[in-house]
Parts: sequence; structure tokens; C-alpha cells
Amino acid sequence: MSIRVELYRHLAAKPLLIVRGALRSVGGVSVIELVLALAVNGLVWGLIIALIALGLSIIFGLLDIINVAHGDFFMLGTVAALTLTVASGSYWIALLLVPIIGFAVGIVLERLVIRPTIRQASLTIVTTFGLSMMLQEGVRAIYGAQPRRMEAPIEGTLPLFGIDYDVYRLFAAAFAALCLIAFFAFLTRTKLGTWIRAVRHDPETATALGVPVARICAITFGLGTAMAFLGGVIAAPITTVEFRTGVDILPFCFMAVIIGGLGNLQGTVAAAVLLAVLEGLVTSVTDPTIARIISLAFMSVVLLVRPNGLFSGATR
Amino acid sequence: MTALAIDDLKANIGKVPVLRGVSLRVEPGETVALLGRNGVGKTSTLRAILGLLKRTGGTASYNGVNLESVAPHKLAALGLGYVPQGRGMFPLLTVKENLTLGLTGTPDPEIIADVFRRFPRLEERLSQPAGTLSGGEQQMLALARCLVMKPSLIMLDEPTEGIMPKLVSQIRHEIDEIAKRGISVLLVEQNLRTALRLANRVYLMERGTIVHEATPAALRADPSTIHRYLGVSL
Repeated sequence: MSIRVELYRHLAAKPLLIVRGALRSVGGVSVIELVLALAVNGLVWGLIIALIALGLSIIFGLLDIINVAHGDFFMLGTVAALTLTVASGSYWIALLLVPIIGFAVGIVLERLVIRPTIRQASLTIVTTFGLSMMLQEGVRAIYGAQPRRMEAPIEGTLPLFGIDYDVYRLFAAAFAALCLIAFFAFLTRTKLGTWIRAVRHDPETATALGVPVARICAITFGLGTAMAFLGGVIAAPITTVEFRTGVDILPFCFMAVIIGGLGNLQGTVAAAVLLAVLEGLVTSVTDPTIARIISLAFMSVVLLVRPNGLFSGATR
Repeated sequence: MTALAIDDLKANIGKVPVLRGVSLRVEPGETVALLGRNGVGKTSTLRAILGLLKRTGGTASYNGVNLESVAPHKLAALGLGYVPQGRGMFPLLTVKENLTLGLTGTPDPEIIADVFRRFPRLEERLSQPAGTLSGGEQQMLALARCLVMKPSLIMLDEPTEGIMPKLVSQIRHEIDEIAKRGISVLLVEQNLRTALRLANRVYLMERGTIVHEATPAALRADPSTIHRYLGVSL
């Protein structure tokens, strides 16, 4: 097995936690090439996480909900992807169906869990924490605690900065970027998107103008959940599928939302990509725990210097 | 049929009663002004009529329809228009998005053309964020946004508040034009002169209830009542 393939295996096995050992095994790959490869890897994850964080951000921006279960929606997306791929024999069917399932799950949860506690931010933390526990333990009870892996639906590698980079990862990044563009087009080019932006700003005036605010809130929660599920189905072939998959994603998403500026959607996307690339690069010279500490320190500095977020001047 | 009939309307903000039994009428084509000092419940009356503030007692009906049975977001489609205090702009939405926010289908081209004839500045700025408009232009947009919904009654909450003095007369003219089309108007206004000039009838409010009803002419002839309930003189 070539060193390049070995490094690729490291990247594939530890999507967010690229271990120091990867550096030592590079052999013929220069450090600059490796750093660039890790930056690309960070970008790939940044785009996928941007989708998930964007879901968190629109839910927070519209409903004032600090959704602690959002990482578990991502986890459910990976589980649903694996289950549907096994059942149907095609990953592409899972890619199509999982976001739709996520939307339906979001609509049901909004009605049962979120609406009774809406506009009570502290209470939503408790309820969504309880939901998080239920989802994790539910998946563990049904699927067991053993991490599983999925075959990538696109085989093969491409030479990239001296390593053989997984084609599926590049597809995942491109597809996530396409979904982000489609989401912003939906927000700005459709009546429903305009209503969502209006309700975010002033639900009362929107109601007086005929906007069905309760329905918009439910749809927005459904969309936010669908985006986490979509992130899950895209990430499933390059991460492990297990009941705790969402645990590491959630703080990363919260950091992206905070650094991007609470409720600032474009800022959230930019911050997710920035953080993932930063962690990818830092991980090339130290271990992932230090990289996460640096991310947290970066967030603290942003909060001190620009309390409204790094991109607070950007259009929301 | 009375356009708007409010009887013994009560509402709370939290546990504090803000409306203690408001009763008023607006007849078709009539302009009615609701006056009072700050905090007497004028805005709360409008919000309670629309269901934006939960009603705790009394009745409200619009063109004979009991508003208790209608969801607040469906009132605009019934023809009950509202221009909130502070204009209720969505500053990051474009002028066009603000203008057509309440419409679900294609806008009526005749109404849109009429609105642009009336407010030509809006047509020039359709793709501009509404937050970049001046206060006066935002008020024009708020009126236009209401008119495209083809209302039969418009509730205006302090439409001249925060507007440059030279634009106040233009706003006043537009409200007058709205009334001349036969659209009923319920006007909440701090500017006494504007209210008396536009209204057919005036209600005075104090402490969450109506305390006086008069025609503008009768009120002009009664400076002590004006001073007692509004703290100003003409």
C-alpha cells in the first residue's frame, strides 16, 4: 500500500480528527503539499458542516431556539442514509429521501416538542437536550453501539497536492456547495423564502400582512432539520455511523453560528468553512484537541472584539 | 353594515390590563381618529382588533364577521389593512418584496400601476432594500403595501410620527385620498391637527377605555376637553 493511500486512509478514517501520525507517514509528500491537502480536507468538511450549521442558524434566527439536538439530527441523517442504502441497494435513493424524511421529522418535532416551549429560550435548551438523549439512546437501542462504516458511492481517487484524494469527498464538497447556493436562492427568490426572512425580522407585522407565521415557523424548523439530515447523508460515507456521531458536530456548529454572528446565515457558512480549514491546518502540526482549543480561543477573541460576530456587517 | 364594531374590548400585557373595555364604531367610508396621551392603549386597541394582542374580553367584528373566529393572518385577505407604528418595514427585504409581501398570487397590474402613479419614488427603487429609504419613503411604502391588498378598512398607527415636517402634508394628502376612495380609516395619531383635519369622528382614550366621542368641529370648540385628555391646546 502506498504512503499516499495510507495518508488518504487517515483522512478518511478521521474526517475531523486528523491525527499527528498522518504527518509522520507522509514519506514522499512534502509538508506544503500535506498542508494544502489538509486545507482542502478542511474545506470539504467546512462545506458539509456549513449546511448543518445553517440549519441551526435559521432555527435560532427565527424561533430563538438553542437546539441542542441539532447534532443528533445530523446523526439521524447518517443512520437513515445507511439504512436506506442497505434497504434499497442505492446510495442515491438515500440521498434523495433522507432530507425529505428530515423535513417530516422536523415538522412533527416542531409540533410536539418545540411549539409548546416557543419563545422560552432557556426551556428549549432543556427540552432539546432531553430530545437529544432520547434520539441517541433510541438509535443505540435499535442499531447498537458499534460504529459502522458505509461504502462511498463513488469509487476512486484523484491526485491532489501530492496525495490521492477521494473523489467522493470532492463530490460531497461540490454537492454541499450546490445545496448552500440553492438554499440562499430559495431564501431570496421564492415567496416562502421571503416570508421566512420577513418573519425572522418582525413576526407581528408579517402576521398583519397575511403571512401564516405559525406555519412558517414549522416549515423553518423542518428545513433546519432537513439540512442536518442532508449533511448526515452527504457525510455518511466519509464518517462513522453511530449513535454519538452528532456529539462532535454540535459544538462545531455552535461555534460557526456564534463566530458568524447569531442569526447571520452567510456569516455562519463563512465561519464554518473558516473553522474547518483552520482546524484542518492546525491539525497538520499538532493534535486535534489543541486544534479545537485554538478554535475555541478564536471564538473567544471574536466575542471580545466583535461581539455580534465576525461577519456582523454582512447582509442577513 | 358597520365596517368595524368593537364592544367592551379588554386585553392584558402580561398580567397588566391595558384595555379595560374599549367600544368604538367605524362606518363604511368613514375616517375615525383615536386620540390620547402616550400609553393609554391606542396601539394596544389596534393590536387587539387584529388578534396580535390576545383579547381577554369583549367582541370585535369586521363587516359583520366576528374576529374571534378568524386567524390573525387571514384578516388582511378579508380587507382589514394595517400600517403599524414605526412603519413596520422589513429593512433587508427589497422595496418590491415589502410591497408584495402579503400577496400570494400575481399582483393586480392595475393596482400596482395606481400605486406607482401615486408613489413614483417606489417604482424607481424597487430592487433597493427598504431600509435604505428615507422615513417618508418608508411611510409611503407602508401605505402602498397596504393598498395593494385591496383593503376596505385601513388602521393607521401614527403615520406621521418621525416624518420630516415637509412630508407630513404629503402623508396627510395620501390618507385623505384613501378616504376619498371609500376606504374606511381608523387613525391613531399624536398630531392633533392632522387628526382633526382628516377625521369625521374622534374618540379620546384614557387608561384603556374610551372617555369621549365627538366630531372634529365639536372638539375644536371644546378646548378644555382637549387639554384634559390630551394635555395640549389647539
